[in-house]
Amino acid sequence: MIRRRTLLTVAPALALLGRSALAAPAALTSDSTLMPRSGSGPRIVVCGGGWGGLTAARYLREEIPSAEVIVLERNPIFWSCPMSNKWLIDVVDTAYLTHDMLFPANRHGYQLVQCEITGIERDRKLVRTSKGNVDYDFLILAGGIRNAYDAWFGDDRAAAEYTRTHFPSAYIPNAEHLALKDKIRNFKGGTIVMTLPPPPHRCPPSPYERACVMAWHFKVNNIPAKILILDPKPGIAPIGGGYRAAFEELYPDIITHVPNARVRELDPWNKRIMTEAGDFDFDEAVLMPPHQASDMVFHAGLIGTNAEGKSTGWADMDPRYYHANGDDSVYIVGDSMGAISPHFGHYPKSGHVANYIAKIVARNIGQRVREEEVVAELPDNLCYMLVNGDPREAISVEFTYEVGADGLVHQNQIDIDVRTPDLLEEDFVWAQGMFNDFLR
Amino acid sequence: MTSCAEIDRRALLAAAAALGTGLWPGLAGAQEIESSAAPQPDDAEADRIAAAFLNGAIPQAEGLALDLPALGDNPAAVPVRVHLDQALSDTNFCEELIVLAQRNPKPLACRFRFTPLTGSVDVALRLRLIQSMGLRAIARMSDGRFLEARGDITVAAGGCGM
Amino acid sequence: MSRPPRIWISNATPIPGEIVRIRAQVVHPMETGFRFGPDGQPLPMNIVTRFQASLGGEMLLEWLPETAVAQNPYIEFTFSALRGGLLHMVWTDGSGDFAEAEQEIVLAG
Repeated sequence: MIRRRTLLTVAPALALLGRSALAAPAALTSDSTLMPRSGSGPRIVVCGGGWGGLTAARYLREEIPSAEVIVLERNPIFWSCPMSNKWLIDVVDTAYLTHDMLFPANRHGYQLVQCEITGIERDRKLVRTSKGNVDYDFLILAGGIRNAYDAWFGDDRAAAEYTRTHFPSAYIPNAEHLALKDKIRNFKGGTIVMTLPPPPHRCPPSPYERACVMAWHFKVNNIPAKILILDPKPGIAPIGGGYRAAFEELYPDIITHVPNARVRELDPWNKRIMTEAGDFDFDEAVLMPPHQASDMVFHAGLIGTNAEGKSTGWADMDPRYYHANGDDSVYIVGDSMGAISPHFGHYPKSGHVANYIAKIVARNIGQRVREEEVVAELPDNLCYMLVNGDPREAISVEFTYEVGADGLVHQNQIDIDVRTPDLLEEDFVWAQGMFNDFLR
Repeated sequence: MTSCAEIDRRALLAAAAALGTGLWPGLAGAQEIESSAAPQPDDAEADRIAAAFLNGAIPQAEGLALDLPALGDNPAAVPVRVHLDQALSDTNFCEELIVLAQRNPKPLACRFRFTPLTGSVDVALRLRLIQSMGLRAIARMSDGRFLEARGDITVAAGGCGM
Repeated sequence: MSRPPRIWISNATPIPGEIVRIRAQVVHPMETGFRFGPDGQPLPMNIVTRFQASLGGEMLLEWLPETAVAQNPYIEFTFSALRGGLLHMVWTDGSGDFAEAEQEIVLAG
């Protein structure tokens, strides 16, 4: 049966392409179709197989059993960014972060295709990929972030590439995470600078957590390291009190937090950085550039503009229904999402929010397909950060949302600054619950 | 709470602009709708509370420290520390301490009571401040002395959670 | 106050006379009574009005917050470890709801 279906699919292509098809498989020409339609329901293409994309795929299959759901993901394995700071100091191992994506795909009945997205033609409802084109009825863009090195270097690709390869940001899975871990393990002493992306950026509290786990590693191994956190913000946030206490009490000789240190100029070859809070030489660095919506949102022509007509760098989208402004067949899920409310700007760009929004979007698409009323829903957010390696103590931040009398979304932030071991235990329960939700 | 989480005020305003003025009411209007909290017009109410606590005594300007950040970047939670920098004993200890946020709708921020068993007075807490203002801490010692510390704080934005 | 308070203690086995530092935080909305809810109606005032810490049954300190104290009230205090015993902390709010936390203090040496 399987063989016959395969033959039937390939045969028309062979006929069209003639003799050359024998030398070049049909699927590799730029205009071939990735996958013919199957089933009677709508086709929903999910770009990106991360926390948002895999959650959306699972819940779309539950919400609309007739739907054909296709996930396009560039990575062969799932690597979790949440919990990866803990992995830097072996609180969790690599197997904890990495997961097979075919298991949930087969179990929930969605297609998983490993490919690059090379273009999006919304007028034709078509996604171009490195393996061919795929058309859609609904499109979900869940690509996470891109590193906007151009904000630092403009068109100087050489500088951007040297920075990326020598001082990786390790904010996008997964090769750079491995490089960062090696760097930490091999560091013999000196000054490490860490540039924090300006807000909004992926997982706001995590660079501070990274500084803590690195400092803990240097402290327990007696490595004479100094970590300079170059923060564009005027203070530590979120959980400023909890982090400040950790920096001052646990790592007073290692971590220095430098506020208002927006990057002016960077010379990666001579290891020198110029900021609004002063100039610094470094021996080693974790250079985290500004973040923007993932490339696919740019491909789709869905980047917003501000009042002055400048690019926001983030998706132009409805803040309550999460679809693109002017194209309600396209939804944006997770870190690429644009501003939600003038009260707080963006939802935190976290795995938790991506997972939550993905479920809301799956329900909203289900409501539309069934021609029911579409119900606007709000997410929440929860993050735990490890600040001490022994005893293992964590702090946390929680966000809840409500619509105010002014019709706008309001944010309520709960910082838990008192570091305790049980918060790390809660973190593991949270992470396992999440993995069970979209990876099992 | 509202705008408290976003500490980068410029980014917030830029985001508001990006969302389009047609769709979103102005920030100031939004806050007025949300809360009836209004700052004190002057220090009169705070002075009245302080006078009631001092009960005619003149406070000393030494011995008590009030530590404030240079900038209250999150007005919903401004860290405030008050500590006594003198040795305490069973016969010389702090009985009561008040903290005043002079321009808040209710200027008395909190009150502490201590005992000889405490042995050390060093407290830290977080206040929500409706605007930039002066803060006062006044301690009543067991020997009848009063100690006072004052400080001013600039907050990035106001009204959060009030 | 449905969730347990978070407690951090600098040293649960201090030497006599050591200054012990405590950080404690409880999740509470600290509703001022000034605000309006999503329906435009005023939200009733409900704040933590009292925090008490005792050691071995004797009062260490009492804290009486007002509306100026931030949401999820955070309190840090110190005491001189003149004796051991059970450090007991209790928060009470205007609605009568309360939360408790305990930590045994044992003098070293």
